[in-house]
Amino acid sequence: MATTMNPIEIDKAANQFLVVHPLDDIPEEKVDTAGLGPMRMTRSVRLSLFSLRAYLVLMMILVAYHVLALAGLFGNG
Amino acid sequence: MTNKFVTAPAPGLETEVMPLRGRMVKSKWARDLLTFLMVFGPGLIVMVADNDAGAVSTYSQAGAQYGTHLLWIVLLLLPVTYFIQEMVVRLGIATGKGHAAMIYQRFGKWWGLFSLVDLELVNFLTLVTEFAAIDLALNKMGVNPRIGVPLVAAGLVLLVLTGSYRRWERTVVFLCLLDLVWFVIAFTMRAPAGQILRDSLVPSMPAGGLTPNLMFLVIAVVGTTIAPWQLFFQQSCIADKRLRRADVKWARLDTFLGACITITVAGCMMLAGNASRVHGFTFTDPAQMAVDIGSFTSGFFKHAILLMMINAAVLGTTAISLSSAWAYGEVRGWPHSLQLPVRKAPGFYVVYLLSVAAAAGLVLIPRAPLQLIILGVQVLAGVMLPSAIIFLQLLLNDKELLGEYANKPWNNAVNWTIIILLFALSLVLAAQVAAPNLFPKS
Repeated sequence: MATTMNPIEIDKAANQFLVVHPLDDIPEEKVDTAGLGPMRMTRSVRLSLFSLRAYLVLMMILVAYHVLALAGLFGNG
Repeated sequence: MTNKFVTAPAPGLETEVMPLRGRMVKSKWARDLLTFLMVFGPGLIVMVADNDAGAVSTYSQAGAQYGTHLLWIVLLLLPVTYFIQEMVVRLGIATGKGHAAMIYQRFGKWWGLFSLVDLELVNFLTLVTEFAAIDLALNKMGVNPRIGVPLVAAGLVLLVLTGSYRRWERTVVFLCLLDLVWFVIAFTMRAPAGQILRDSLVPSMPAGGLTPNLMFLVIAVVGTTIAPWQLFFQQSCIADKRLRRADVKWARLDTFLGACITITVAGCMMLAGNASRVHGFTFTDPAQMAVDIGSFTSGFFKHAILLMMINAAVLGTTAISLSSAWAYGEVRGWPHSLQLPVRKAPGFYVVYLLSVAAAAGLVLIPRAPLQLIILGVQVLAGVMLPSAIIFLQLLLNDKELLGEYANKPWNNAVNWTIIILLFALSLVLAAQVAAPNLFPKS
């Protein structure tokens, strides 16, 4: 059952407002992320992760090129 | 599918639910102001800490080489940086968990570990550059870095050891507000207001056109304004502060104000660089720029800029080290909160301590390969930023996770544009660093 406390409790009759610091408030209920498990692999998620993998591979090739260039494999010119 | 809800304080906090305390106010205006002041913090800190030592160097170099011509690019980055961090606000408030935990849980172990290792590595290398800047500034102030650097490192560790998030936040907000000294410095440099306004609002190209040097400086400006650790830091900070759904609009305002301050301060740094250029000095590093500016103003401004450089590095160090410690704690399932004393969250504090101590120690080693480290930061940041933003974008479209806080179509249009731009810029920068021979010399 929800135990969320609104940070601002309004006493309408007295026209007063109670403002509570987040750290002094009762911890709010959040989404149970662990219970949700892994994200569903929709086409757009799959495409995004594939693009990311391709980008990372490209970066690795660039770094390898730099290391080989530093080792003098491509000459000095 | 409906979301399941649980009460989820940070691990280790379960037995520490405190009695409700609050303040009574008599008007809606006072209620809103007080609520904002209570929520205020993570947005300002993440934005101002982003103007770290590397940023001082990049912005002042941009001013020293191109005057006020690149001010419009900095202004253009205001909405970009706000949009990205605003997504982090929603994610942090809706889940109450950090970014590393989210990647780990939603994308699996492989991507979770990849993000964590990449973050820890690039953070550590960035920390080394922060301490290198402290070393440089202390040297110019006539303070022995062998004494000064360990003292600063000790202060940074003590800052988090109080077992109180609020104490840490108040101290860091005070340091953030010290950054406003840059306004005084910029005002004293007396750059023409009309020129500043024109170059801020009307895109213009410096004399000489688009050279490779200019292109890479622009990329560096973009790269220094949007950094991967910011995503991890703000989300964990929001989770640690336990911001509530009702706080979203105030957290957005906090982030927006932080973005405005950081972008304006960045402009002030450019104006300081511009002043040294106008007086005929060639830029080498920001500490030398402080000395140059001191020669035509007064010793006060030399020391003010050097102290601001140290302040920038201190802010960057505490935020980056915390983003490492929070991320590590989240993935390992360790207690990880500034609200916890050291004995209840030893792993969290050890990661923070090791990050600070190792970076400070490395800088004090004579002939440490600092250039190689800076190169490593550039390449790793190039890898990290697009990956982190892709995960952020996918998480923000995860309706199972976020429900009403998920991205709207217009959010996605803006964010995909930013992502594509960042991918292209990161790729060009990484290619330039990894394979400089591919690019023509200017």
